[in-house]
Amino acid sequence: MALEEYAGDMSMCCRCSACKFVPLQQVKGFKHANVCPSISRYNFHFYSGGGRLNLGYAGLKDGFKYVPRYLDTLYNCHLCGACDVSCKYGMDMEVLRPIQEMRIRAVEDGHPHPMLQRVVERMRVTGSMVSAGGQGRGAWAQGLGLVDATKTKVDVLYHVGCLTSFDPDRQKVAAATARVLERGGVAFGILGDGETCCGGRAYEMGHQADFLAQAGKSRELIEQSGAKTLVTSCAVCYQAYNVLYDRFGLKGDLEVLHVTQLIERLMAEGRLKPSRPQSLEVTYHDPCHLGRLGEPWIHWQGKKIPGDRFVFDPPKPYRRGTNGVYEPPRRVLAGLPGVRLTEMDRIKEYAWCGGSCGGVIDSNPAFAEWTAGERLAEAACTGAEAIVTASPWSEKLFAQVLAKRGGDLKVYDIVELVDQAI
Amino acid sequence: MALDKDIYAAFAGVVGEENICDDPAMMPAYFFTDFAAVILPKDTAEVQALVRLCNKFKLKYRPICTGWTGFFPPGIVLFDLRRMDRIIEINERNMYAVVEPYVTSAQLQAELFKRGLCTNMKGAGSQCSAMLRGHGHLDQSMGADDRNHLAVEWVTPDGELVRLGSLGSVGEWFSGDGPGPSLRSLISSVVPPSCTPGVFTKVAMKLYHWPGPVRYSLTGYSPRYLLAEKPANMMARYYSFPTLDQMWQAEIKIGEAEIALELMGFNAAMVAANITTSNEEDEAMFKRLSQEVQGPGFFVIIAGNSPDDFAYKKKVLETIIAENQGLSLKSVEDPEIEGILLTQCTRISASVRETFRPGGNFKSIPIMGQRDLTIRWAVGAGKAKLPLIEKGLIADDGGGFFGWGVEHGHLGKTEIFCKFSPLNPEAWKAVDAWAEEQAARAVDEKYFALTMGPEEQIEKKIGPALSNYHLWWNKALAALDPNEVIPEKGISKLHP
Repeated sequence: MALEEYAGDMSMCCRCSACKFVPLQQVKGFKHANVCPSISRYNFHFYSGGGRLNLGYAGLKDGFKYVPRYLDTLYNCHLCGACDVSCKYGMDMEVLRPIQEMRIRAVEDGHPHPMLQRVVERMRVTGSMVSAGGQGRGAWAQGLGLVDATKTKVDVLYHVGCLTSFDPDRQKVAAATARVLERGGVAFGILGDGETCCGGRAYEMGHQADFLAQAGKSRELIEQSGAKTLVTSCAVCYQAYNVLYDRFGLKGDLEVLHVTQLIERLMAEGRLKPSRPQSLEVTYHDPCHLGRLGEPWIHWQGKKIPGDRFVFDPPKPYRRGTNGVYEPPRRVLAGLPGVRLTEMDRIKEYAWCGGSCGGVIDSNPAFAEWTAGERLAEAACTGAEAIVTASPWSEKLFAQVLAKRGGDLKVYDIVELVDQAI
Repeated sequence: MALDKDIYAAFAGVVGEENICDDPAMMPAYFFTDFAAVILPKDTAEVQALVRLCNKFKLKYRPICTGWTGFFPPGIVLFDLRRMDRIIEINERNMYAVVEPYVTSAQLQAELFKRGLCTNMKGAGSQCSAMLRGHGHLDQSMGADDRNHLAVEWVTPDGELVRLGSLGSVGEWFSGDGPGPSLRSLISSVVPPSCTPGVFTKVAMKLYHWPGPVRYSLTGYSPRYLLAEKPANMMARYYSFPTLDQMWQAEIKIGEAEIALELMGFNAAMVAANITTSNEEDEAMFKRLSQEVQGPGFFVIIAGNSPDDFAYKKKVLETIIAENQGLSLKSVEDPEIEGILLTQCTRISASVRETFRPGGNFKSIPIMGQRDLTIRWAVGAGKAKLPLIEKGLIADDGGGFFGWGVEHGHLGKTEIFCKFSPLNPEAWKAVDAWAEEQAARAVDEKYFALTMGPEEQIEKKIGPALSNYHLWWNKALAALDPNEVIPEKGISKLHP
């Protein structure tokens, strides 16, 4: 939907400021009441969900003014969706959707962020969001004897994702995932060097056309593999295949699972029995893309009913963050002997963003690190020895910030813990 | 309109370049108000310096803290106080908390619950500042308005720093009226134009005993959080009555018995709004509850300090309700709905559902006065809404109003509002006319004087009805604001 179609939603914003805080019933103290990294870091109201909507509405009426401050506001947003959830606790209106559309409009109007533009250009050429560093995409799998889904038809395809494939520090997660799936008796294949980017991050960066082109390529490869189920250990890829592809009519009948969902299933069926005890106090970070942004897309078309109320025919079902993937990772952690979970103050649909979303990690690394630092400080408040997550992007950023700032907190991808337990 | 270069430099010299923005392209973010600049001071000294600069340059200014922008004339300077966000002190022994403007009610309350204390949060919602003056769900047992403001640190319109109440004489925060200057009549803003001139930079809020849990145990996901376990010795009910008089008699008796933690005169539409998660659900629930109630009613929460205390309060409540032929709404007796209302109404977390969700805007007439009089006025104001509802200009709430007694007394708050779409000029016009007529009727028929009202009525009606207070107010304001930097004149007529 184009920005124009959200004019009614944007006009609904009353500047109540709920978008700046966790849903009010979940405020647990003075600390950790904020939910939006952008307004928390930059303070001016135009960095909040509500301020952005008012700017968007004014842009539609009077034309967009791409002054430096506006562009700074536009790109210093993680698009993490926290504002959307908090607003929709009380209101019936879209928040994240129009904010995303404002970014798309800026790109279409010739105002992309130069750093993000570079990342997207790389994707166009190499099919990857990250630098390959001279290695092949499937190099991590050398010697593992995994099924090559470019040659053999498979039911289950493990999509590794750009960062996990190429980043030497993240490749261990790919290998661990493969081991866990094998131990669970899952017959799966990988595309190896043939795998390509899901395109999801390009969409967030505002490059919708590039996303669609890339998604077309990726979908074709998946189609050719014969896969009926796609499983991924990357939260960003999960959200792209499960939500964005569905939204744009590219998902078809493909079942999309995050690896935590599959592991939970395998554990419940008794096919995976973690038995090796670990003694570890952990806290869990909900990646935005797996949590609130991972909520299934709802196909709906309708018209506002004229009159006093903002209601539609047929009634509009809102995505409010209710149906994200929150419990499977927690149930997996609960099934690991010796692993004890202590929750942070901001969790599930109102979790504080880990900092890597929305292209900010590329456009403004300092802001990304600030956001991650806030999360790590919250994690430290729980007394946990380690922060566990389910996204390579969060894990990488957390590790990066901890390396700079020091501290005893360890960072794990959840699959690493499962791998260690079996 | 951007600031003059020299003026910008002077402001930036106080707060730093990163804390000022005068880019006209960004001002639409501030809810349709075309501010000359937005400035983010970090403490009282910076506020004082900014105010003095405004006086020097004869620039009108307005502070804002957490929530809800009003409508302001173009070209004024906005002080956004969001960097002033510290809880300075929670004094458990003397039962007050000292806060800066950007501490939210939700934050303060969550800290207070841990200490067995609470503060009366305002009905606007717990995202709003903890220092906000006004009324809320807990008025019945926790005071209201400026009575909960103890000592205050105040930057006057011309930049003088004044410490009010005990702070002004002994440097302590425990009292609003002395020893030291009170000035309550100047700062309370309980009569139109309802705005305190200048900036409050720190306020001590009065605290009360909290009989509930240190934290509610919630399950589920937004937008439907459920209470995992109802706290011991707490109960929420909605009672409806055959007649308005029986409702009022029950309200008086409950007040006199001092048993209610909360008595909130919700109408069926407001109950429906609170317990539903979308407009469609709300509409259906309103229809259902309208069938279920026998007449006007109110919502009550009782909370005991012990099982015996709870049993006593419950028995007294049930006796009073029975004596006045009240009926408990079955829908609210449903433990799930009771839990939702219990948590939402004590944490004031769903106000936007009652106000902004249906159409995006609402206009309210809030009043303070003798409840039986104000109820009678509100019945008429509610009837006057019906033609607007029939025309589809405002949301259907059955012509409802709401209200409650403060501090268990007969004096209380009554409020009525119209919910409508801000994009409908016809609705704006009709609602403005309704508000003006009902405000005039309130004074003409001698029910009360408004706490907020159209500006011309201050001089014509409200002032003369209240010992010509407006003449004194204007003299005081002229002394406090020699350079006329307070922008309040004309605000009541502004629309986006």
